[in-house]
Amino acid sequence: MKYLTQLAVIFGLCLVGDVISALLPFSFPGSVVSMLLVLVLLSTKLLKEQALGESADFMLRNMTFFFIPPGVSIIRYMDIINSIWWQLLLVNIVSVITCFAAASWTVVLVGRMQKALAGRRHA
Amino acid sequence: MLEILSSPLFGIALSIVAFRIGMWVNKKLKTPLANPLIIAMLLVVGFLSAFGIPVEVYEEGSSFILMFLAPVTAVLALTIYRQRKTLMGSFLPVLLGTLAGAVAALATVRISCDLLGLDRTILASLLSKSVTTPVAIALTEQFGGIPALTIASTIITGLAGNLLAPVLPKVFGITDPVAHGVGIGACSHALGTSKALEIGEIEGAMSSISISLSAIWTVLLAPLFF
Repeated sequence: MKYLTQLAVIFGLCLVGDVISALLPFSFPGSVVSMLLVLVLLSTKLLKEQALGESADFMLRNMTFFFIPPGVSIIRYMDIINSIWWQLLLVNIVSVITCFAAASWTVVLVGRMQKALAGRRHA
Repeated sequence: MLEILSSPLFGIALSIVAFRIGMWVNKKLKTPLANPLIIAMLLVVGFLSAFGIPVEVYEEGSSFILMFLAPVTAVLALTIYRQRKTLMGSFLPVLLGTLAGAVAALATVRISCDLLGLDRTILASLLSKSVTTPVAIALTEQFGGIPALTIASTIITGLAGNLLAPVLPKVFGITDPVAHGVGIGACSHALGTSKALEIGEIEGAMSSISISLSAIWTVLLAPLFF
């Protein structure tokens, strides 16, 4: 019964997320609305971690499993992939490098600015 | 016969067996190249073609599994919530770092798709590929892209991040473990994060926080680059 209740809570929150997403004036994935909703409910203690419990952990631990069906569908698009395979590789690898550089340099920069500000405050 | 095989029972059972074998091989070989998702996909495809089962039949049954992508995304909130203490310790750097990473990834994909002359369907399928797969698929569907192409790209991106994770800080002169972790999580979601966890505790924690934060930034900003 416990697992069914947890699943009902999770599915219910997803449905609420979909409703909110449909009401928004711009398009925003319902599943991400649900994620933000769960985060807000947890942070405000309106929802307890145990309410999602083992069912949520089961999904998180086995997340990869849920991507097998869309992964298998890749073979239906092999002709597209074959025609652009090197472009696909290039875009992916270049963006990994630019994204890493931008993210890590920003962290270093913001950290330094915070230190400088704190230093000035103390002086 | 095909009617029986298009039942969710067949699609789910085949996927589970393939996944278990994939996880087992991954544990034995201990290399990111033996990715459990790639192995499971190849096993399912191999099984289908060996028995002459059309992929559409498997898709019909496995659509049941796809239904779980939304719940999986929703419970990702738990991963942020559980790390709130670590996050609060360096809130601003991590928040702005993931923002910069999301902008850089989106801009790079947009610019390189334009330069390489790839059409809008491809752009729609690639824009979200730096973030965690369930969110990436949701974004691709929103833009009218091909989810299968997104999956292919999230795997390539994740593997690239995993393999480059130890080298990139040297190239860019990064010595701060927080910056290293945020960089890995922002550019290569969970696949890169598994490497970050091997590199160090701070790197791993920062990388896993960055997965969800990057996903949120990317969803918010992606429409500007489409």
